[in-house]
Amino acid sequence: MGLGVLGVVFVVIAALYAVGVLQILTSSDAGPHYKHAVLFAVLAVASFVGANFARPKTVA
Amino acid sequence: MNLAQALFMGLLQGASELFPVSSLGHAVIVPSILHWSFKQSDPSFVPFLVLLHLGTATALLILYREQWIAIIRGFFGAAIRGQIRNDSERLAMLLLVGTIPAAVLGVFLESRIKSFFASPYVAAVFLIVNGLLMLGFELLRRRAERGASRAEQESHFAEAERISFRAAAIVGACQALAFMPGISRSGVTIGGGLVAGLRHQEAARFSFLLATPVILGAGLIEVPELLKSGIPLGEYVAAAVLSGFAAYASARFLLRYFRSGRLDPYGFYCVAAGLVSLALLEFGL
Repeated sequence: MGLGVLGVVFVVIAALYAVGVLQILTSSDAGPHYKHAVLFAVLAVASFVGANFARPKTVA
Repeated sequence: MNLAQALFMGLLQGASELFPVSSLGHAVIVPSILHWSFKQSDPSFVPFLVLLHLGTATALLILYREQWIAIIRGFFGAAIRGQIRNDSERLAMLLLVGTIPAAVLGVFLESRIKSFFASPYVAAVFLIVNGLLMLGFELLRRRAERGASRAEQESHFAEAERISFRAAAIVGACQALAFMPGISRSGVTIGGGLVAGLRHQEAARFSFLLATPVILGAGLIEVPELLKSGIPLGEYVAAAVLSGFAAYASARFLLRYFRSGRLDPYGFYCVAAGLVSLALLEFGL
């Protein structure tokens, strides 16, 4: 659950970097930051994968 | 930068990227020693390096094409199922865990660290540090070895798929040390793999697999900049192709070498090269 929420947060941060709204820890103060956006997209994927691993499995 | 210089830099980058001797350190030191006039702060230098790295990443993708297909399939299989069932799936998740620390540190710190340390003197000092690290990794490794022959010694250590997830994350984070020119990415990751209990050849394989997504990702993101910066694309692409061939040949050589070879010769080379570079830079020979 926690990792899933974290994944959603990372998706939002990735979108904000991609459209240029977020400028935290960037080399320039304006414009989109695709490198940061891709990084947070990867972190989002990793979080969702982690959430899926942590999900209780039904025994077949 | 003229065509000959671009080709030389391509060859140097491709050959030294995978050897544990720091390609960035050589890229900073060699032009200074040769008194080449091009400036590494020039706006066209970063796109040039990006293209060279794409050449290296392409070479690694070709070398490990079958493994990458299995890794990508394994990633999706394990991610969707939420469970690891085979070695390819485990390796895919290990590479994900190892790539994240390097990617985070790379995005937030790389340009700051590189600009802070981008001096041939600093690169030469870090080259010596890199050499001492290689020798230190081997010293630690020798303490854990048993058996007389090299084959016997190596047989007690594991394959890349058996490394722990924590060790994969630490080895991945070690890649960030290579933002300092003179410290080798492959050197610290191979060394980290050795300390984590991998065979030499497996540590090299894990290092090369770990490097591919980071090098490729960083390169692909910069591609739009290449198309709008008005650089001599033909010359740079030729250098990138040369870099790719050199990287492919050096990866094949290293995988063969590490069947029984050690990091020691590269450690001694780095210490010697760093000392000689410092002398040449100081006395302007």
